[in-house]
Amino acid sequence: MAEEKQDLLQLYRFCFLMLADAAKAEEVFHATLRQAAQQAANGEPPRDRLWFFRNARWRCLEAGERSLQAEDVKLAQDELAAWAPSQIKKLEPQQLAVWISGAPDPQRTALALFYLDEFNYRDLLSVTELKPLELSKLLCDGRRQFQAWLDATFPSTQT
Amino acid sequence: MLVHCAPIREERVDDRALRMALHRARKTEAFAIQQDFDKAATALVQAIPIPQEITDWIPTDTFIAPTRRDWKKYAQNPAFLATGIAVLVIAVVAIFQLVERMNRFPGEPTARRLLTTASSTHAIMLDPVKTDAGALGDFFFMKHRLVHYDVPPEFAELKTLGCRVFDDEEGQRVGQVWVVEKKMQFFLFPAERDPKTGKAREFSGWRSIEQERWAGVVKEQSGVCFMAAVHGSAKDLAPYISKPKG
Repeated sequence: MAEEKQDLLQLYRFCFLMLADAAKAEEVFHATLRQAAQQAANGEPPRDRLWFFRNARWRCLEAGERSLQAEDVKLAQDELAAWAPSQIKKLEPQQLAVWISGAPDPQRTALALFYLDEFNYRDLLSVTELKPLELSKLLCDGRRQFQAWLDATFPSTQT
Repeated sequence: MLVHCAPIREERVDDRALRMALHRARKTEAFAIQQDFDKAATALVQAIPIPQEITDWIPTDTFIAPTRRDWKKYAQNPAFLATGIAVLVIAVVAIFQLVERMNRFPGEPTARRLLTTASSTHAIMLDPVKTDAGALGDFFFMKHRLVHYDVPPEFAELKTLGCRVFDDEEGQRVGQVWVVEKKMQFFLFPAERDPKTGKAREFSGWRSIEQERWAGVVKEQSGVCFMAAVHGSAKDLAPYISKPKG
């Protein structure tokens, strides 16, 4: 049960990363739990914890479509820097969520799930419905783009 | 490329290909930087505050169906594996015994003994008789008073080289015939009898036996068993008995 509670807390964080909006994340979280409760009451409870993340993912994408859309631009990429951790420490969780939620899907889902540090590689592939090389490329590009953004936000003179 | 998906925590690495990729990548500086980057990002994610409404909403009972172990997991359990193997062995032995029992027929021990006799018989031990095997029924009756010692129609047309009548170790009168074709030998012997009633134990059709590279097919008729024996396998005799003759 403690594990399931932890999973549900992570589910909220996942929604938050996908939407960068606490109120919307809460809404999706509640909707997902309501559906799980309904299914459980009908004798068809979710088969595993991944169900919650798959369900929440589609709800988040749906909610995201109704709000402001990010422009489809090719982001700059930088090599990962040894000082990146110190740059990241300067961020607020909200800033990271804004950055992730601005990514196009499935990269958005891949990054949000990956940085929850909750899943193994197979689980990530299952929820994102990606092939191993696709997932790998999206994560690799995501890191480099994030590094470029970090470098732009916190130029090396400030780190 | 797989190392880009490397989980931040070591215990999440449960894929063989990924483990191998990580083993190679661990020595590189780039991977160390990636791991530090990921750890920092994860720490930031874990710092996302959880609103009180969310904590309050988390149910006390589980919504997730209890995990059903699939058959592969059951099969990997040593206890189930051992039981499965034991059941399999018992089943194989039972099937083997059942098949053996189904092939058993009254008079089988005598037939097996006579197969041994066939393997040690030389043509010169028999009285030369050149005729059709089917004609020997009258010969056995006229000369040795052996009733119903008839060669079945399936083998009646084969040409004989010789024959004899001898008493086996149980004192039963056995007719032995040597034929030209495939150096085949025929044996005619009394069918097994019920010790209480004295009646011959009948069985229908042809039954086959194999022993030490000799094969025989046996048929019971009117209280007498006929066996055709050949050095080889049951396949050598199959063509003769596959089409019944009138």
